[in-house]
Amino acid sequence: MKNIRYLELNVGMSFYTALAVLGAIILMGLGSVYHMEHNGHWVTGMDNQIVWGMPHVFAIFLIVAASGALNVASIGSVFGKKMYKPLARLSGLLAIALLAGGLAVLVLDLGRPDRLIVAMTHFNFKSIFTWNIFLYTGFMGIVGVYLWMMMDRQMNKFSTPVGFLAFGWRLILTTGTGSIFGFLVARQAYDAAIMAPMFVVMSFSFGLAAYILVLMGLFAWDKRELGDYVLNRLRKLLGIFIAGVLYFVLVYHLTNLYATEHHGVEAFILRDGGVFTNLFWWVQILIGSLVPLALIYAPMFQGKRCSLILASVLVILGGFAQLYVILIGGQAYPLQLFPGYAVTSSFADGIVNGYSPTFHEVMLGIAGIAISLLLVTFASRVLRFLPESLADSVVDPHAKG
Amino acid sequence: MSNEQQPDLARRDFMSSGAQLAAGLTLAPGVVLYGVAQAKPDDQPVTDKVRWGMLIDTTKCADGCDDCVTACKTEQGWDNQTHARATQSAQWIRKVTLRDKATGHQHSLPMMCQHCENPPCADVCPTGASFKRADGIVLVDRHICIGCRYCMMACPYKARSFVHETITDQLPHMPRGKGCVEGCTMCVHRVDAGQTTACAEACAKAGHNAILFGDLNDPKSAIAKTVAKYATTQVRADLGLNPGVRYSGI
Amino acid sequence: MKRMIKLLSFAAVLVLTQSAPALAGDSGVPMPKHALPEGKCVEDTQVMRRNHMEYLKHHRDETMHRGIRTKQHSLKECINCHVPEQQAEAGEQKDHFCQSCHSYAGVTIDCFQCHATKPEKSALFHPIVTPGMERNQSAHQADSAELLNRLAKAKQDSDSVGASK
Repeated sequence: MKNIRYLELNVGMSFYTALAVLGAIILMGLGSVYHMEHNGHWVTGMDNQIVWGMPHVFAIFLIVAASGALNVASIGSVFGKKMYKPLARLSGLLAIALLAGGLAVLVLDLGRPDRLIVAMTHFNFKSIFTWNIFLYTGFMGIVGVYLWMMMDRQMNKFSTPVGFLAFGWRLILTTGTGSIFGFLVARQAYDAAIMAPMFVVMSFSFGLAAYILVLMGLFAWDKRELGDYVLNRLRKLLGIFIAGVLYFVLVYHLTNLYATEHHGVEAFILRDGGVFTNLFWWVQILIGSLVPLALIYAPMFQGKRCSLILASVLVILGGFAQLYVILIGGQAYPLQLFPGYAVTSSFADGIVNGYSPTFHEVMLGIAGIAISLLLVTFASRVLRFLPESLADSVVDPHAKG
Repeated sequence: MSNEQQPDLARRDFMSSGAQLAAGLTLAPGVVLYGVAQAKPDDQPVTDKVRWGMLIDTTKCADGCDDCVTACKTEQGWDNQTHARATQSAQWIRKVTLRDKATGHQHSLPMMCQHCENPPCADVCPTGASFKRADGIVLVDRHICIGCRYCMMACPYKARSFVHETITDQLPHMPRGKGCVEGCTMCVHRVDAGQTTACAEACAKAGHNAILFGDLNDPKSAIAKTVAKYATTQVRADLGLNPGVRYSGI
Repeated sequence: MKRMIKLLSFAAVLVLTQSAPALAGDSGVPMPKHALPEGKCVEDTQVMRRNHMEYLKHHRDETMHRGIRTKQHSLKECINCHVPEQQAEAGEQKDHFCQSCHSYAGVTIDCFQCHATKPEKSALFHPIVTPGMERNQSAHQADSAELLNRLAKAKQDSDSVGASK
């Protein structure tokens, strides 16, 4: 492999156009935040039944994808695969950017975002949220140091141990995110230890899909060369990760289906849940998993870039559907207050809760994505994150010449 | 016994006689008052020697009567939202109707914060705003609640509400405002003043006496005697939370 | 060039410092004038002006988490004493003891997003009357809890008299 040169993004005035567009989206998102916080959450689709809504779907997606985006760097540092080394800087940058976007959404949806300082000064160490505050800030710090080690020639020798630390940290981080649901005893759809590893594998898949799209986008934008060698490796990796997520989804539902206690919630998600059932089967399983697998492995699509782009887009779409089903579906199914009894009350006991997200909630989520993209665009413009070329002749050890 | 301990002894003597008083008092024919505590001195912190609880006798709880809910609204002033949809409105206490799926038998009961010994809301709260007082009352400290709603996700009893809009005209003893989570306080302001809860009082005044409030740790209290003598149930006992609110007749 | 920058920054500081009081004067928030209630405050007025936030915050945690309900540093008692009932009834926020001073001083507080701005008397002690209670009005007269507390109080008094002997 030849020496890799890294260069700042060199896209002329279109850089400012991109900043302006992303900035405008973020401003619209902030407008939505002001609207929701000024009036209170009654202007949203969320209520006392569906307490976490669309902002949380976006936020958790971004946070999960953030830890997954770091994998590309980890494969280079931790598993010593040379081909991934030139991809590592963007991987670290994307990880920080996605996490920042996700956290922004999460924080701006709080009932009292003005009290963020309270969350930083009062800690209850039994709360997974508290662990996550440390895991998220720690992740930012460690990945920041990791980037420094990679980008500073003199510190290069430390990049492997810091890479190990970052890899371990990201596994713990996603375990923490999955445990937000895994440790909830109250609700039928949650309270399962498998949530944590399932979220880890989900992060592999969503994070890599996001990475592929950002990498291809930036290289196309800056007209840099991106060879098939890199893309084919990433394509195969994505296929394995998608299959991994499917496996965990299968085990999760099989476990629940075995226990009579959980038949109700399983019937709800898999058969009777209306929008949730449709999202699960059509979007998460078919469009978000099986179709991408076909796009990745079917001989007719081999080596075709558009199939990889489409597969990545569909994986992200499926990921959103999956989180929507887990988050909203899990809350929509009524709490089992009195097993064996049919329950009715004035507080929506015993009935399936409806949820229709409003524009402002979705806008806040989209602004989170825009924040991530803006950070990536800006950082790769001012610092040397991107290799000058990822052409086969540069990265493929077996390439001729 | 040294002399310094004398006032303490007097206090203990008073407390036990207070407990005897509390065990049961016939005010008028048919109206028996149970489980009212003596007031704790204002400058003393609450202790874990006391565990406040309620026993709800569902056989005495009348179908269609929601006096406890009305009393709670009036006492705490929580049903005054103007914008929130029905599913967004606060409900600190609600009447739940249960129908046995196998037999069709139907009865109703009030449901509110169960004041768990191991409250999941307090476990998950990132700032410690959800907490359990030494005397077993589970509260939200709105001063440090950031409105993340994780406690609402964690509560098996759906006992918490989120305030979805700006609130005005709060009652001086019950501050509430937009963006925080709230729930039954077991009328902590009344309990600290030595009174019973508003729901228990309203139920007694309505002549049902389905709600018995008192100190579960005091073997002489009516509630402790009753739970020792009769079979009572914890809702979702499988979760092992040991709620301070118990039911009989479910 | 350096001198130029120095000069400019000096001018900027001058303009800012000169305009700040002018801006404050023009902000339209008048100096609040409060008729102080009769009697002495729980601390010296000077001490209260300087430290009331500390007292309130300390007391808030004591009350919230430990159930200590002394009156000395309670926000409720501030309101009871400092907000005249007529003013509270009229709903005039600009003359409110706490809020007017805080807006004059330009200090934002969020106490009153949750806490009542009116004194206790005007809001509390409304009777709890429900349909079921009305049906049972004849069953008893005195408030049961109050009666019991009166009994307990009598016992306590006689005990403490005994103890002091």
